[in-house]
Amino acid sequence: KIFHLGACRVSMSMTEIRAGFTAIKAKIQSRDPVRTLSILSHPHSLHKVKSSDRCCMAHQLFTFYVDKVFKHCRTEDSFVNRKISSIANSFLSARRKLRQCHEQNNCVCGEESTEKFKQILANYEGLNVTSAAMKSLGELDILLDWMEKSR
Amino acid sequence: DALLPAPQSISILSTNMKHFLTWSPVIIQGATVRYSVEFQGEYEREYANGSWIPISECSLTTATVCNITEDISATVAYKLRVRAELGATRSQWSTTKGFFNRAMTSLTPPLLRAVADGHHLLVELADMGPSFQFRVLYWKKGQESRVQQKVLKEVSSVVHLDTMEAGAEYCVKAQTHVEAINRSSSFSPTQCVRAQGDTSVWLV
Repeated sequence: KIFHLGACRVSMSMTEIRAGFTAIKAKIQSRDPVRTLSILSHPHSLHKVKSSDRCCMAHQLFTFYVDKVFKHCRTEDSFVNRKISSIANSFLSARRKLRQCHEQNNCVCGEESTEKFKQILANYEGLNVTSAAMKSLGELDILLDWMEKSR
Repeated sequence: DALLPAPQSISILSTNMKHFLTWSPVIIQGATVRYSVEFQGEYEREYANGSWIPISECSLTTATVCNITEDISATVAYKLRVRAELGATRSQWSTTKGFFNRAMTSLTPPLLRAVADGHHLLVELADMGPSFQFRVLYWKKGQESRVQQKVLKEVSSVVHLDTMEAGAEYCVKAQTHVEAINRSSSFSPTQCVRAQGDTSVWLV
């Protein structure tokens, strides 16, 4: 599928990521002890990000998941671990494409998206790392829905 | 552990986005040797301390082949490894040399059958899984310069291509395309069928 993220046009196969997440979503969300808080949507929804900032935000969020989230989500459940690996490696592949566009300076990081991403990091750092990673993984569909809106 | 030899001749067979790890059996007279397989994607190598993930369907298996399709689900470089197990004894791991990326899969032309149903040109295509799209080319014999194309993102068993002129012969060929790896197969052999009836009937 082709995603129009600000100045960037990036082809990514979200189907496999979505399928992998759907297969483990209930198990992951059941491990999220803090239901009153959101990492991605607090205080403002991703959907408020201006379209010109979408490429920058997408690159930052994919980097956030690759660098900070997946590695702290290892469980004792082999099936869950395999699906997390599938998602993580797909994110790595997708981020490579986002980075190419980002590096061609087509991605402008506006003040709003910079502020929004800082808020996401603050939400993440506000919890212990395992809870924060598991909650972020449990919110993956929020990111996927936001990305799908860019098609 | 060194008493139990590690599996040899480990290799990956990959056709049409189906991937299998195979290895030679470890022969121990009078004993049943079992095997366990693990995989490592680029993510695990670069971001998760080089960790390995077991494939439960191929843990303590007596088979010498493992279907790794479900786990090779991103277009990145993977490594696979297998070891032999006999009771509490385990061999060293045998690891694939180099990396495997699903973009390396071999793509075969689709199986197709052209059908003339009265004046209708139909094509039957074998389903090859969700990763596959089909590009079908069809033309009236003798008019090779006026080839038409239909791209099928999902396969239903029979697809209507065109309405044919009475008695004329039409030809069809197809190739697959896998968007996830951005590659296409070669074309299938061309098949031609003739439409029912003859031209005089239409001249009345």
